[in-house]
Amino acid sequence: MKLKMAIFELTGCGGCELTFIMLNEKLEDILELYDIAHFKMISSKEDLHKYDVAVVAGSVSTERDLKVLESARKKSRILLALGTCAVHGGPQSLILDEDLEGALAEIYGKKVPKEMKIFAGTPISEYVKVDVEIPGCPPESNDLFQALVDLAHGVVPYKWDYPVCLECKINETECVLVKRGIPCLGPITLGGCNAVCINLGIGCIGCRGPLPEDVNIPSEYEILKSLGISEKTIKRKLRMFSKRVSLNDHEKNLYK
Amino acid sequence: MHYKKLPKEFLEEFINRLRKWGEVHAPQKKGKNTYFFSRLDDPSKVQIDYTRTVIPPTKKYVLRPVEPLMLFHGDRAEEHTLRTTKLVLFGVHACDINALKILDRVYLSEPRDPYYEIRRKNIVIIGISCMPDDYCFCKSMGTDYAMSGFDLFLHELRDGYLIRVGSPMGHEITWNISDILEEVSEEDIEYLKKFEKQRLSSFKRHVDISAMPDILDLAYNSRVWERYSERCLGCGNCTLVCPTCRCFETYDVWLSVNTSMRVRRYDSCFMVSHGLVAGGHNFRPTRLDRFRHRYYCKSYFDPIHGINCVGCGRCDEFCPAGIKHIEVLNEVIGEIYGR
Ligand code: SF4
Ligand code: SF4
Repeated sequence: MKLKMAIFELTGCGGCELTFIMLNEKLEDILELYDIAHFKMISSKEDLHKYDVAVVAGSVSTERDLKVLESARKKSRILLALGTCAVHGGPQSLILDEDLEGALAEIYGKKVPKEMKIFAGTPISEYVKVDVEIPGCPPESNDLFQALVDLAHGVVPYKWDYPVCLECKINETECVLVKRGIPCLGPITLGGCNAVCINLGIGCIGCRGPLPEDVNIPSEYEILKSLGISEKTIKRKLRMFSKRVSLNDHEKNLYK
Repeated sequence: MHYKKLPKEFLEEFINRLRKWGEVHAPQKKGKNTYFFSRLDDPSKVQIDYTRTVIPPTKKYVLRPVEPLMLFHGDRAEEHTLRTTKLVLFGVHACDINALKILDRVYLSEPRDPYYEIRRKNIVIIGISCMPDDYCFCKSMGTDYAMSGFDLFLHELRDGYLIRVGSPMGHEITWNISDILEEVSEEDIEYLKKFEKQRLSSFKRHVDISAMPDILDLAYNSRVWERYSERCLGCGNCTLVCPTCRCFETYDVWLSVNTSMRVRRYDSCFMVSHGLVAGGHNFRPTRLDRFRHRYYCKSYFDPIHGINCVGCGRCDEFCPAGIKHIEVLNEVIGEIYGR
């Protein structure tokens, strides 16, 4: 019997959901294993009962997001966070809670609609239990494929913990940080992208988010500073994709 | 040892003739100053004066960075057929040749690794002499000269290369190409001596390893590890480029709904999951544990066979945090024995 899958979209650019469609011929494999019960990007038809797997993309940035997320969690056995917004908060999490009002005023002027209830972009794991995380902006469609086939076979998907540097070295690419003094977040960013940016000669911007467990932000900060980059730029760079990089902890460590 | 001379004008001819014994792979350049071993189609592309490659050639061709091991079709498992192209590695440095002996000890003792063994048997090694740069410390490790482990070894001369023949295969090659080789002259020997003298006096980094295992025994709780591990990013670059690091990760990848492939890929002891075992226990839970572990693995665990480091300098050249292996060791030695 096929499993039932649903894909939910919170605040994001839509690129994560697109990676599902971009499975291309592998989509046929997935459709052998799953029935798609809910996926607004491809069909307005929906089945709102129970799901085996709920895939959630985007961060929680509005009240509507939170409602969708909570109901997805309630109705599904396994919840998979897809993409850096869902896993880490994404670029929209650059705005902190205390700056929200100012940000709203800047966009909407004085006429902020009353019914608009927004939060700073937040990883979904801050609200519900998440079973599988696949970060990436956009995520690799093969990561999604592996996880979905794993889950259908009752296998727990791998939780990788190697940085971008690992694949960069396997490719024997010129290290842009060491050899050319170009800022690169590769050492603190989760790998799995085959170091695609470095293959093109540009530094990693950290779109897959920080390493899941041990991540040395203070040391990366010092390296970037030694390249002559301003403190403000470094902070924005480090926080660009992830709310999980806590600058407060980082500052504490930095000056201890 | 048997010596021959290759006149400089025959270098490209020599490389082309080597193709008889296998596909020639040699150091080539990418970017500003990054070197890597790859198939050499045009002998004029060879970077004979290269410093060091990213992945050591001797490791790269016997222990592939990523390699399929098995295929699974439903319940059926099938071993992946090994590709056994004969290879000639042209231009391998002495440190890497000596590192291969360490890998051999690991992968060719029982239980032998069949993937390693079949590749190892199909490799011809042509060494080449080099001048140390700012990172080299092979002299301190006693690995700056290769006395064995190669088929031919080329030493730079003013107008050619002095060839040392190191194996029956080496004899076969020199025999076959005798028309482009000459006898070594007194003048060549004089040049070789001068070159060696200059080489030996050019090292900028030194470490005294005579008491290393004992020192590390006493230094387990040293503050030096702690201090450096605060700077270490845990990125694993140092281990991935190391010619003696040989850990791999094995995992399965789905190719379709019912077929999958078992793959192995270089791994690093700097990854948190490297020390994770069944039941969820991690025997190297902190970065300090992982950082220190590398030094113990390189210089302590195997005192009978010697040290698992050949001083190639890769870990230092490629560390984004600028941590220098030998500085760390020297600080530890200084702390224990004040020397
Ligand atoms: S270029 Fe970046 S990702 Fe690649 S090895 Fe250097 S620091 Fe790591
Ligand atoms: S390369 Fe440097 S920063 Fe990276 S794990 Fe090794 S010692 Fe640490």
